[in-house]
Amino acid sequence: MNKKTISRLSYVVCGAANAACGQILKGIIFLAIEIAYFVFMIVSGFGRLRGLATLGENVQGMAFNEELGIYEMMAGDNSMLILLSGTVTVVITIAFILFWLFTISSGKAAIKRVEEGKHVNNFLEDVKSLANKNINFLFLSVPVVGLGVFTVMPLIYMILMAFTNYDSNHQPPGNLFDWVGIKNFITLLSTSDRLSSTFWPVLGWTLIWGFAATFSCYFGGMFLAMIINSKGIEFKKVWRTIFVLTMAIPAFISLRVVATMLGEKGIFNVLLQQWGFTSSALPFLSNATWARFSVIIVNFWIGVPVTMLMVSGILMNIPGELYESARIDGASPFMMFRKITFPYMWFVTTPYLISNLIGNFNNFNTIYFLTAGEPLTLNYYKGAGKTDLLVTWLYKLTKDSNDYNLAATIGIIIFVISAIFTLVSFSRSNALKNEEGFS
Amino acid sequence: MNRTVIGLNLKYFIQTIVATVVMFLGLFLPYTKLNDGRVSIITVAGKFVGCVEKSGLTFFVYLTIVFTILSFVLCVTNIVKTTKMGFKIWQLCQIFATVFWTFLLFSSKTILESSALAKGFLNKDLSFGYWIGLVFSYVALVYIMRVTQTNRGYIVLTIMSVIWVFPILWIVLTALREEPGYYVGYFFPKHLTLGNFTKLFAKDSVIPFAKWWLNTFIVAMCACVINTMITLATAYILSRTRFTGRKMFMNFLMIIGLFPGFMSLIAVYNILKGLGINQSLFALIVVGAAGAAMGYHVSKGFFDTIPRAIDEAAIIDGASRLQIFTLVTLPLAKSIVVYQALGAFLGAWSDYIFPSMLFGDKQSSYTVAVGLYWLTDFRRIDGYYTQFAAGAVIVAIPIVILFVWLQRFYVEGLSGSVKG
Repeated sequence: MNKKTISRLSYVVCGAANAACGQILKGIIFLAIEIAYFVFMIVSGFGRLRGLATLGENVQGMAFNEELGIYEMMAGDNSMLILLSGTVTVVITIAFILFWLFTISSGKAAIKRVEEGKHVNNFLEDVKSLANKNINFLFLSVPVVGLGVFTVMPLIYMILMAFTNYDSNHQPPGNLFDWVGIKNFITLLSTSDRLSSTFWPVLGWTLIWGFAATFSCYFGGMFLAMIINSKGIEFKKVWRTIFVLTMAIPAFISLRVVATMLGEKGIFNVLLQQWGFTSSALPFLSNATWARFSVIIVNFWIGVPVTMLMVSGILMNIPGELYESARIDGASPFMMFRKITFPYMWFVTTPYLISNLIGNFNNFNTIYFLTAGEPLTLNYYKGAGKTDLLVTWLYKLTKDSNDYNLAATIGIIIFVISAIFTLVSFSRSNALKNEEGFS
Repeated sequence: MNRTVIGLNLKYFIQTIVATVVMFLGLFLPYTKLNDGRVSIITVAGKFVGCVEKSGLTFFVYLTIVFTILSFVLCVTNIVKTTKMGFKIWQLCQIFATVFWTFLLFSSKTILESSALAKGFLNKDLSFGYWIGLVFSYVALVYIMRVTQTNRGYIVLTIMSVIWVFPILWIVLTALREEPGYYVGYFFPKHLTLGNFTKLFAKDSVIPFAKWWLNTFIVAMCACVINTMITLATAYILSRTRFTGRKMFMNFLMIIGLFPGFMSLIAVYNILKGLGINQSLFALIVVGAAGAAMGYHVSKGFFDTIPRAIDEAAIIDGASRLQIFTLVTLPLAKSIVVYQALGAFLGAWSDYIFPSMLFGDKQSSYTVAVGLYWLTDFRRIDGYYTQFAAGAVIVAIPIVILFVWLQRFYVEGLSGSVKG
């Protein structure tokens, strides 16, 4: 048969080209997968995709059963399951399209090799090449499948949810929910109701928190590392270990413990009163301003050792001659920090700082375990408190009030904020450009 | 004073003397305001002699006075005859003087109230004599250290260590405390016991802590092995091979990484439910492994620094890619393997959100994080606080050991992550 015809045929019948070139087993497998996909689509797939458009039509309720002559409960459509199975179908379809593209390129390669008179791998050789030339297929298959099922699919599902009205008033199976377009974004961002008057202050605090937490730990850690690494400090390892202890204790434990220590009758208040610093308990976590300072300080306590360890490694890379000549020129230690250490650090750690900043915007643990977003306030939408970050609010919206659409909308907004900062970081750093530099 | 002594930097001698003298004068200036007007610390110490009832901390006052005077005397001797040895002794004395001046800040209330010299005392009642003594004890110490050319960083390190260790000490002491309850009005327990630990593991305990611990251990070990393998494999492929869609794949990973992770927890939960493996440890392991590839950056940065020439040499010798990875690259990247394994273990060990959502109220599959958090619920915290602390200690010990042991690798990985 004509090569061109076969090549064209393989667009419709997957694996045709491979089979024609002698890779029979490969061709059969390709074809089997294609058939399986179409059978799936015909049996249930198209129905699921149609469900995605409507999100269910029958509300659960009483319906008259003529045979028995009574009203009975009719199970309605479950919008959530319809949305989920629709998402699954979409992901399967995307996977199939990728697979289809792959079969085409595989077929073309086989035809090319036949035309050039080269050896065409049989199935066994193909399997063997997984350990060598095609090792990327072997090594990436597990992560790709894992990410597809447990990251991409849920993400698509949640992103879609941001465009529905799946809130506490539209809970399946009792109720249906439906597409509402970008209404959630508009309510959250621009109308003057409760939600947007919660969103903007929470966003503001998230940004303040992110910058305060990142830079306090950065400079604190740098300061500590410089002291420990400076000349004349004995037992460097012991000092380092003391600070590393806080890092080694799982965060949820140290944060829970510190939270109880900061309570109204917690040990800090007890001691401060015993030591005569104050006559009444201080509202460390119960007053909004105090609580905000408390979380930043506790985060400092936890974050400084991490930066300290990281900076220690970098400090040793700074050429000693720089300091030597600076000292001869009569520079003070502060001058040397300002003119040598800091510029070097800043240059090397900018990407780290940006990713740390994004990490702190999403620093769920510190806030949730310390204050759980409290103190609550009546000015905010239900459940949100004065120390809530966008992420903790998102969590509360899903867990406590079941406003999934709002949670998903906030998730997308967080993504946009993170993306902006990442883009800034990429445009500044040349880490990506230098990727090949070492090889 | 134009003296020179080898090993001493006498440029700061004058400042040292001035600071010591001022600190010494602090002894005679008013320490605090008592019922009969402002009194100096010496007078206060004199009053203690007549007191029948006094706190055990009273000796702080005596020691402050003793070391301050001693420091002053050593100052005078060093003016007469400046030696390196003399300065070392003076420095030691000054350290003690500084420490006790600082202690007074925290103990004045107890000392004065227990000997009935003051009532409702607050630190703002301390008078300027005390503050001068405190501040200049530090100033004097700094200048003495300058003269003896000792690193002043020790002062900062000591103060910071105390602050950093304080909460940890509190957890340990609470774990050993016999008196139950969360609201106790003292720092050091009245009675020590190991009962909190044994209670956690007792057969009739309401808290199946041994089970939780085992669950966590299983999950963490699996995560440690599986996640590390996946992360390293992904990093290796992205670092060493070039294939169509590689850049796209990396960008794609970056983009999905920017979404807050637990935004999709509900969906993950539903998918697991659909697969019929919710509320099981297996689900936890699977979900952890599924996302492991996203943390490839650090290892990739490290693999990038291993010269390509090594790979090429191995290829010429007839090694397959798989062999190069397992026999050449991995042994060269030992520190990054340890870093990833430690990170995966720690992550699984202290993960809270996902397990708590996954297990709901099925207590028998809780991990320690979920279980311990459950114990700190406001309904239980008072009854179980000491047991919670004991549990926390047990959870923390393996991590601390691992961490201290493998610190070097962790530092290498961490500083590598900055470059990558």
